[in-house]
Amino acid sequence: MQALGRLPLSLKLPLLAAAMMVLVGAVASQQVLRALAQVQDARVQELAQMHVEGLSVALGPLVLRRDVWEVYDTLDRASQGGEGRRMILTAVADDTGRVLAATDPSRVPMDSAIADLAEGAAALEDLSVGGSDPVLRLLAPLIYQGRMVGEIVTELDVSDLLTERRRALMLLVLGNAVAIGVLAMAGYAAMRQMLRPVSTLARQMTRTEGKPHPIPAAEIPRGDGELARLARTYNAMVGAVAAKAEAEKRLAERERFVALGRLSSSLAHEINNPLGGLLNAADTIRTFSDRPEVVRQSADLLDRGLRHLRDVTRASLDQNRMDMEHRPLSAEDCADLKLLIQPELSRQAQSLDWSVDLPDIPPGLAAGPVRQIALNLLLNASAAAGREGRVGLDASQTGSGLAIAISDNGAGMPQAALDRLLTDAPLSPGGGVGLRLVRDLTLGLGGRIGHERAGGFTRITVSFPGAPDAEG
Amino acid sequence: MNRRALLAGALAAGLAGRARAGPVFRMGLTPVFLDNDATVVDGLREALSRGMGRQIELVQRRTYQEITGLLLERSVDAAWLCGYPYLQHADALGLVAVPSWRGGPRYQSYLIVAAGDPATGLPDLRGGTHAFSDPDSNSGYLVTASDLRRAGERAETFFSRAIFTYGHRNVVRAVADGLVRSGSVDGYVWESLAAIEPALTARTRVIARSEWLGFPPICARRDSTGSEPVLALRRALLGMGDTAEGRQALAALQIDGFQPASDALFDGIAARMRDLEA
Repeated sequence: MQALGRLPLSLKLPLLAAAMMVLVGAVASQQVLRALAQVQDARVQELAQMHVEGLSVALGPLVLRRDVWEVYDTLDRASQGGEGRRMILTAVADDTGRVLAATDPSRVPMDSAIADLAEGAAALEDLSVGGSDPVLRLLAPLIYQGRMVGEIVTELDVSDLLTERRRALMLLVLGNAVAIGVLAMAGYAAMRQMLRPVSTLARQMTRTEGKPHPIPAAEIPRGDGELARLARTYNAMVGAVAAKAEAEKRLAERERFVALGRLSSSLAHEINNPLGGLLNAADTIRTFSDRPEVVRQSADLLDRGLRHLRDVTRASLDQNRMDMEHRPLSAEDCADLKLLIQPELSRQAQSLDWSVDLPDIPPGLAAGPVRQIALNLLLNASAAAGREGRVGLDASQTGSGLAIAISDNGAGMPQAALDRLLTDAPLSPGGGVGLRLVRDLTLGLGGRIGHERAGGFTRITVSFPGAPDAEG
Repeated sequence: MNRRALLAGALAAGLAGRARAGPVFRMGLTPVFLDNDATVVDGLREALSRGMGRQIELVQRRTYQEITGLLLERSVDAAWLCGYPYLQHADALGLVAVPSWRGGPRYQSYLIVAAGDPATGLPDLRGGTHAFSDPDSNSGYLVTASDLRRAGERAETFFSRAIFTYGHRNVVRAVADGLVRSGSVDGYVWESLAAIEPALTARTRVIARSEWLGFPPICARRDSTGSEPVLALRRALLGMGDTAEGRQALAALQIDGFQPASDALFDGIAARMRDLEA
């Protein structure tokens, strides 16, 4: 059945048609044979009845007198007649069941019990040429003058009828085989012809060139049949698919422009964020130019900030370059973050809950992306917290990984912002790209982002797994 | 007187003429020969009719008893009987003629079995089935029955079952077909069958032959043996070999001819009758 299931339709349907023809042929043959059997049974029964009735008339008085010779002589003469060729043996017994005479006395001796011979014998109405036994045995009462005076057992040779039946069966089988063969082949050819468009359709659909191909006009069936409509519909579908692919291509191109816009926006954002801190550092140098340690500290800050800007610029110019920045995260990066955010917090008179507990910073975490993630989130938190609000950063180690939680006591993130941060839903126009950048970077590092709102605080948790080589 | 004599003479002549033309002479036939062969019976009737100068009707019955009865009650004028029923009614019957077969008026009774039967004599047949021809037949019953009596047996108990087939040919068939194991048959009939139906007799084997006994004779009632029709019959029988028709009938019967018979011819049968009744 499974093998049949794997066959192509163009083979399966003709095979099914042939199988149905075989079935029809078998049923028809069965009917013919049954009718033949009925005719034969009726013929044999009629013959046997005539035989028995004839014998009853002839033998009745002889059996009554137990005239063995006359019974034998009558049987013998009857067996010489035309009827005798079918009746190969007839035995007659008296009313005590003892054989008076049989046509073959050597087989059925005088005075033997008729019951021995009658074993397996059928009554007249049950006589049937069924089975393979070429000899039927009949047991019939010998009725004379309305009473049973004895019994007759007759063996009928039905080998000719069996041969006839076998010949009929053979002819039927042969005829059916030829007819079914021819019809099956014709059916196969016709089905093949009819299903050719389906095969063409299947071939065109499964071509490996990457996109479906339309069916050539020459191979579309003429007229307005289902298959012609199917082929035309398929071709229309192929056209639609091609049009969609084209539209997608154009859309992708437009997407690139959007990304470019986002990139530039992000770039401006990233450059703008540390600018306050850097300007502050420059101001400090200017103010405390006589204090070398302050100048050095501010110069270092400037240096780191400018380096970051350089990195950000580089990263913004080439998104991939950012991912490839291999400098590992260090404690200084956390300090930088604090320094970078501090000016914005001061401007808004916000308080900062800073908790960094990283005794052993997990290796393999690139500093650039992590800093950008944390800075973006901090800036967002600061914006959300509002004036004199609270902003917090909690960096801790989780096994071999790192978790950074940024919190604020703002009014909570709007759904659009959460979507940008937590889902891949398309960006709704008008929204910033900072949060989506956080998401992209976090996922790029294999991290996860969590959000919770509890006790008036919004808390965004970004957790990074440890680098694979750090595990071992 | 003269007129009366004349009248009487004319009457007698008229009667005689009518007799020659025709009261049919009825002759009974027992199955002592191949009575089932129509040409044999027809040939015999033609020859006798020509020889007697009158019409002959041959009357056949199934049993000896029936024919003997017809003869005794005058339903037939003469009959071809067997020596046994003749002797049974010797007081009422007279001999007309007796056939001559193989040079003499005698024949034998045969005891036959199937060709493949190992029996060599009557004692071997004990407990088997047996076919007699007719209870009034010498060769087909009396011989075997008296043989058994002489041996202290009875046919009814010696054989498991004995049947009568009422015809010597039937006895041969019954034995040949295996219906019975053995049979008592007229030797003359068996030999005749061997000539015309060798395939039938070849399936049987003669295992015993009786002594030579008187051939079945042609009989008439004792009170009519001297009457004209019977005398004419006697002449026709004895002279049968003189005409081509007669010779043809004799050839069909496979006998030499007919000859006068005496009671002494049947002494052997009489002896067996005595032994059987003893």
